[in-house]
Amino acid sequence: MRSNPVARVIGEIVLILIALLFLYPLFLMIINSFKSFQEVMTDVIALPKSWSFANYEYVWKYIDYPRLFLNNFVVTVLGLAGIILVSSIAAYKLSRTKSRASAIIYFLCIMPMLIPFQSIMLTVMKTASFLHLSDSTWGLGLLYWGFGAPLAVFIYHGFVKGIPREIDESATIDGASGFRLFFSVIFPLLKSVTTTIIIIDVMWIWNDFLLPLLMVNGSPSTKTLTLAAYTFVGQYTSDWQYAMTAMVLAVLPSIIVFIFLQKYIVKGVVAGAVKG
Amino acid sequence: MKNRSRKLSEKFEFGLFTLPVLICVAVAFYIPFVLTVRYSLTKWNGISKNPEFIGLDNFKQIFTGDANFSAASWFTVKYAILYIILVNVIAIVLAVILDSKLKSKSFLRAAFFIPYILSLVIVGFIWKFIFMQGFESLGNSTGWAFFGKSWLGEPGLAFISVLFVSIWQSVGFYLVIYIAGLQSIPDDMKEAAVMDGAGPFRRFFSITLPLLAPSITISVFMALTNSIKVFDVILSLTGGGPGGTTYSVAYDIYRDTFQNNLYGYGTAKALVLFVAVLIITVIQLTIFKRREVES
Repeated sequence: MRSNPVARVIGEIVLILIALLFLYPLFLMIINSFKSFQEVMTDVIALPKSWSFANYEYVWKYIDYPRLFLNNFVVTVLGLAGIILVSSIAAYKLSRTKSRASAIIYFLCIMPMLIPFQSIMLTVMKTASFLHLSDSTWGLGLLYWGFGAPLAVFIYHGFVKGIPREIDESATIDGASGFRLFFSVIFPLLKSVTTTIIIIDVMWIWNDFLLPLLMVNGSPSTKTLTLAAYTFVGQYTSDWQYAMTAMVLAVLPSIIVFIFLQKYIVKGVVAGAVKG
Repeated sequence: MKNRSRKLSEKFEFGLFTLPVLICVAVAFYIPFVLTVRYSLTKWNGISKNPEFIGLDNFKQIFTGDANFSAASWFTVKYAILYIILVNVIAIVLAVILDSKLKSKSFLRAAFFIPYILSLVIVGFIWKFIFMQGFESLGNSTGWAFFGKSWLGEPGLAFISVLFVSIWQSVGFYLVIYIAGLQSIPDDMKEAAVMDGAGPFRRFFSITLPLLAPSITISVFMALTNSIKVFDVILSLTGGGPGGTTYSVAYDIYRDTFQNNLYGYGTAKALVLFVAVLIITVIQLTIFKRREVES
């Protein structure tokens, strides 16, 4: 384009201002988490008089932040590990086997993508409590295996098709078979799609709300971060300074990870959308 | 003999690889789904031991005498249509602007993407704070009447607020899909259009937009599936209010099942939602397929 440079600089400045305005709510959240109750009530947009961490000390202890963080971590890692394991081996086998049974199983695996979670939420609760998966972080993590599998199987299945069968065959001649063949030869070749699945599933499980609400809301010791922030705000409806502190604590891990892994996250999200 | 044992071991291995995922999917989807169908034919408050079988009465009730459900359906349809159109138009415009040679491109992309990594429940609370407290201060310092309106307290305005916050949270997602789509358009095509003397608007409508078609299909599909299930953001932003005007179908199901303890009735509604989503998806997939064949 041959527009004049001054106009372009002005245009770019306007864009940056729009972007900052777009993020202004997050800025307001942060500054108000440092204020006292009186300060929030008198003026939301003013900067805090002093940057005091008193709210943080209070909320950190009250919601037992380290515990929540650990719970979120356990649920996310356990869920993710299971999704990747069960989906990758199944997708590999299903993609390599040409039979009616294989086609039917593949259909059964990806069909649930059409079922909205709200359509089955009550009976998921019933099933989980029958299997003793309720009220436990581990149980919640295990449940994600099934919820994450359809998309993961779909993505892996498409990718395995592109890996030549000769690779399997030469590995078989070398004496590898079954799980050994899969984990030492095939799985490393799936690295790029595995990264995509990790990114979309971490974002989903880490932030998920409704399933944790139904599964682990019974006790403070099993809550996840988003869930605890939700109940906390419910109790402190007018104490916005505490509510905003809880919000900051809840979103901070995601924002820090995003700042460092921005490129991969954006790439993974795009790849996931295009393939899914 | 050898052949048969090999066949057998192949079958065994096939089972070993696929059984785990089948169990997981059955626990997460198929068992609950069968139970949903069963409960939908009963009257049950969750406390009594045996749900009472009442046939299709729940469904009759839903379609004939449930003002909440029809209001929630109407809300969801309005919301979905406006959401799909607005989020895609805004994302395309932003993507076209960000695709030009800007120095701050990566900062801008990151800025618009950040809300998407946050949980929707939290986003709802942040905006509730902005609407309730922040707007008051902004109104005082600017004097604009815009900030003085009751954005969560009046039905029409609350609808706009829910829509606006949803778009704010997710526009970055659609933006990056469109940027990826634009980057796959070959540069010489754009240059050829410039050479032919096409202005920016001509270029956009006759070159960029048609070539973005695959990205548009994906984005519309995602926007539709997400908007039809809208729940989290409403729960924390308006709680269904004012006067129950911002209940979506998903939220209405949640209300009946968990707040009114109408287990049988709630699952029947849940099944209606499932069928609606199924029909919409099948229609979309057929359009999808047809397009792919044409191109």
